[in-house]
Amino acid sequence: MADVTGRRSTKTRPLMVLASIVVAAGALLTPTGYAELVSFQSFGNEMCPLPGPVDTDAFYAGAPAAGQAAAARPEERQPDQLNIKPARYIKDPGPAWSAVAVNPENNMVVLTDENLHRIVEFGRLDNTPPGAQLTAPRREIGGLDTMAEMLCGVYVDPKTLEIRVTNNDTQDWMPIFSREAKGNAKPDKFLATPHQSFGIAVDEIREEMFLTVQGASAVVVYRKAASGFEAPIRILQGTATQLADPHGIAVDVKHDLLVVANHGHRSGTGGGPTVFDPKAWEEAFRRPNSLHQMQTRRLFDAPGARRGDDDTEGGEENLASITIFARDANSNAPPMRVIKGPRTQLNWPVNVAIHEERDEIFVANDAGESILVFKLSDNGDVSPTRVLSGPRSGLNNPTGLALDRVNGELWVANMGNYNVTVYPITAEGDVPPLRTIRGGPADRVPLMIGNPGGVGYDTKRQQVLVPN
Amino acid sequence: MHDIRYNEVNDEIIVPGRSSSILVFRGGAHGQEAPIRVIQGPDAQPGGSRLAIDTVHREIFSFGRGGIQVFPLDGNGNVSPMRVISGPDTQGPNSSIAVDPINNLIATVGRGGESILVFNRTDNGNVKPRNVIRGPRTEIDRINQMQIYPEKKMVIIAMPGLQGLMEPPRTFVGAWSLDDNGDVPPRWKIEGAGTTIKKAFAVALNPKDKEVYVTDMRLNGVLTFFAPKAFE
Repeated sequence: MADVTGRRSTKTRPLMVLASIVVAAGALLTPTGYAELVSFQSFGNEMCPLPGPVDTDAFYAGAPAAGQAAAARPEERQPDQLNIKPARYIKDPGPAWSAVAVNPENNMVVLTDENLHRIVEFGRLDNTPPGAQLTAPRREIGGLDTMAEMLCGVYVDPKTLEIRVTNNDTQDWMPIFSREAKGNAKPDKFLATPHQSFGIAVDEIREEMFLTVQGASAVVVYRKAASGFEAPIRILQGTATQLADPHGIAVDVKHDLLVVANHGHRSGTGGGPTVFDPKAWEEAFRRPNSLHQMQTRRLFDAPGARRGDDDTEGGEENLASITIFARDANSNAPPMRVIKGPRTQLNWPVNVAIHEERDEIFVANDAGESILVFKLSDNGDVSPTRVLSGPRSGLNNPTGLALDRVNGELWVANMGNYNVTVYPITAEGDVPPLRTIRGGPADRVPLMIGNPGGVGYDTKRQQVLVPN
Repeated sequence: MHDIRYNEVNDEIIVPGRSSSILVFRGGAHGQEAPIRVIQGPDAQPGGSRLAIDTVHREIFSFGRGGIQVFPLDGNGNVSPMRVISGPDTQGPNSSIAVDPINNLIATVGRGGESILVFNRTDNGNVKPRNVIRGPRTEIDRINQMQIYPEKKMVIIAMPGLQGLMEPPRTFVGAWSLDDNGDVPPRWKIEGAGTTIKKAFAVALNPKDKEVYVTDMRLNGVLTFFAPKAFE
């Protein structure tokens, strides 16, 4: 039947049109099986214009086939957001002492806390009473503005009393705080440092600062006043140096020596001399995320660096050692002496200190649960001159170490029991400390979780495995 | 050390060593016990600080030589890799990895750290990934540890947020299908103030108890989530 008022395109499907329709009485139509406009009567003023033809192909384009629900495109899906509370939560509320520095003239004992990401200061004579839970520090520096996180080394400037700390795994800069800084303080200055910087030592005469770099098995030397993205003035690195996952470092200005504690791991760093371009170094460090990208052994293969030919791949696992260099050792210079071997008892040596008058090297021997003292002239597989160790000593995973030559005292930061313990410099054997500053309850065992980089599940024992 | 895997078939713990090595310990090792096997040497050159294991096909997936290296699970000493996925088409070098022994796939992190690449488990040489999950909708800034739940063909990542930030504005544990491709958001995320996560660094799965374990590098903590959704 012809549609007088509308149009039926050959492409269109029938549409039901609702309008003011008056069905003419008596008008009979033969059903077609489709909806059709059967009558139209104008009211004079149209209530709405009749629709024109509809391109139903376009109208139905993209619609699912009959019986199917519309599917979101993958890029448009909304993730299920599981904002759920943890069922269980393992975390140590107490400190993990990692390093200590002492300035007796100003009654300052400064510690780094790797667990709570803070720097704390105590008085030299602080001593936690037996019944007390802990001793509160007289000053704390910590918070998001401090640029201080996984702290492992500390230095107090003897003149300005500025505090410098090394960040290890997670932040690639060294913040510097004034004597007055406290709380969530922004650093007064910072220096961009290689990833996994650990130990810090300063030559006050030549105004040079030395940092160890773990993964790169290197020592970088800066001007003491360096800040921002300034490049080092020397880099000690290469197979001949025998640096192997270096940690603590100390400078002996009297004998012009540099002493480094090594854990013994070496990940196939280059063997030959490394030459680097300071300008390229600064440019590389300024790039976002470049600091982390430079964490690998090819740290000093940054643009402008040149490596020698003796490149030993494959890595090696070796005994822990103390390497003794000329103070101004550079590039792939060998050590003058190496204290290494089973007699030394070295086992994860962390921080070191030098007593220049006594010609002695003090070592915080973490996994050996001891303080080892060697002669500065020692070489090879030698026994230590003195060993401080035992249950009465209060040592438990000692990591930080500092000497107070004014008062003849040895300070030890213990990661394994919240304690900072003080001994006579000549202490030996299983002797109790002179004083103990406790950062947590005596009856609680610290977890020593530090930057937990992995997790696994032991299905047999139903245990969660957490490497640090 | 940014990875650890438990071999439940042989009761062993496998970790990347700090001296271009792979260390295998007894499952019940304690204290200063030495590893029972060490893969290391100029022919082996395992690299990186992460790895994955496949106890079905008896393989360890590590890094080195600019890409992914595959060693025998029982390997010891200076063993050469059985396969090496490396070359300009692979979008390496890579930094994290997980393996699916049921669907014979591996998921790894692509160059730059912001993408998930999916390869066939037996790929070798300069091959293109079969899928690449990358783009702003993924919200991936970087990836630390990865896991695969083979039963549902899902890859789960710990996303700590931008390197260098103390508490990044976004961090999560998220999951994609191994069939996902392109700039697509995750299927689910453990994320939000209620989770207490500050910087998710590692993730492990316990399908039997429907638990997801997350370590947090800012909290220095280990969080256990009961998350049945993760295993659906």
